[in-house]
Amino acid sequence: MRAVVFDGVVLGLQFGLLGVGLTLVYGLGGVLNLAQGQLAVLGAIVAAVRLDAGSAVVPAVITGIVVAATVGLVLDLTLMQPVYRRRGEDRVLLGLLLMLGVAFIIDGVLTWRYPIEALTLRIGGEPVDILGVRMRTGSLLASAIALGVGAILVLFLRYATTGKAVRSVIQDEEGAQLCGVSPATVRAFVFALSGGLAALVAVTRSMTSPVTVNAGIDFTILALIVAVVGGLGSVSGAFLAGILLGVVNTVSAHYIGTYITTIVLLGAAAATIVLRPSGLLGAGRE
Amino acid sequence: MLELAELSAGHLGENVVHRVSLTVAEGEAVVVIGSNGAGKTTLFRAVCGLLRPSHGSVRLDGRSITRRRAHDIARAGLAYVPAERHLFPDMTVAENLDLGAFPRRPRPDRRALVLELFPRLEERRRQRAGTLSGGEQQMLAVGRALMSEPRLLLLDEPTTGLAPKLAAGAYGALEALRRHGLTILVAEQQVPLALGFADRGYVLEDGRIQLEGTSAELAENPGVQRAYLGVA
Repeated sequence: MRAVVFDGVVLGLQFGLLGVGLTLVYGLGGVLNLAQGQLAVLGAIVAAVRLDAGSAVVPAVITGIVVAATVGLVLDLTLMQPVYRRRGEDRVLLGLLLMLGVAFIIDGVLTWRYPIEALTLRIGGEPVDILGVRMRTGSLLASAIALGVGAILVLFLRYATTGKAVRSVIQDEEGAQLCGVSPATVRAFVFALSGGLAALVAVTRSMTSPVTVNAGIDFTILALIVAVVGGLGSVSGAFLAGILLGVVNTVSAHYIGTYITTIVLLGAAAATIVLRPSGLLGAGRE
Repeated sequence: MLELAELSAGHLGENVVHRVSLTVAEGEAVVVIGSNGAGKTTLFRAVCGLLRPSHGSVRLDGRSITRRRAHDIARAGLAYVPAERHLFPDMTVAENLDLGAFPRRPRPDRRALVLELFPRLEERRRQRAGTLSGGEQQMLAVGRALMSEPRLLLLDEPTTGLAPKLAAGAYGALEALRRHGLTILVAEQQVPLALGFADRGYVLEDGRIQLEGTSAELAENPGVQRAYLGVA
């Protein structure tokens, strides 16, 4: 049981990072990035292709992350501009549809060009005992990275000037402008950040199981569920929800079967929407 | 310092303010008087870049800022305090103040000046802005605007939602700011208070300037007395 819960936490930390990217982009511009998972897979496949070409692991991975972040940035600066000019429901709907289209395109191009590509990072070393549970080094490294990056992200948003600027736009866009913060710059920065984070999660996932070309939709759905359960716009909520859902995921997979996990996760999201519409830590505004 | 020439602006192609011309000289305090719906807020929003003017120009220190974006104008030294305040409700008072200095780091002497002006904010430093009273929120909005070390402060109805005693206190704080050399343009419905504070004033009705003059001239104008000062 303890081992299953540990595995859940490992998975959950990565879910959390995936959800944070989605939740920040939504909080800033009202865009639900349905291509989040495809950006993750894009990063992973770029890394895999670089590895095939003989590149070392770290440069390959960094290239993958940078490509995903750049695509995110370009999407924000081009396709999302008409979205940001709209208000309210119009904006959410247009953003959602455009990003869904982007998801299909990335999926299509990757499947066409690299149909059998997958990223698998084998992390060597003996399993390590943690509280009496033998953990694979791959899992430990993945958790350490997710935890480290998550902590940096939380500290950045809390204390850094740019981090405060990000929060200011989420809380009151007009107020932020009056303070000299450019919402457009903040949105572009966070869109890129979210693409990079997604690719990073795909990379850490590949340390325990292969990330294939068609995994995008699974990542997107996970990110959505995590963001909804955590409360759209809430960073700490996304992490909390990520860890909770990671544990729910592995426990149900272990005791019932893998087939049930998606249903259980979607059930958790549905229950959250019914019981706490603003999410675990959602502010309940808007 | 600030010059509006024939400025028109509105929403969805429908102008709310029509060809407004107005000037504020360095060190001056000027009031725009008008009732609800006269167009004061639209005018101010067009000046500070939150709304695109459809006609005319805005100059700050002789340079046109007509079509520049709000964050850019804020960095150019024009701070706007809207009537709705637009604070960051989930951030502390201290964080709100710090953001006022964006993109620079907040300067300690500036923070000290703001906290000296509004000692209440010092007591509430760690409290979330959303939990402050109306008067405290107004202080924080002005304090946040001051953190950017602006040279021109625009205030839209700073006394909105304040009890009469607090409203007088708000103008007391503005007086202190003037002594620090700040130039101030304020929109107000509470005309006696505003005329007591300002050097000059403009009367805005239906989006047009109907009258202008020194505060003393406006206070003696029969039309102003009838409409805004409750003199029969």
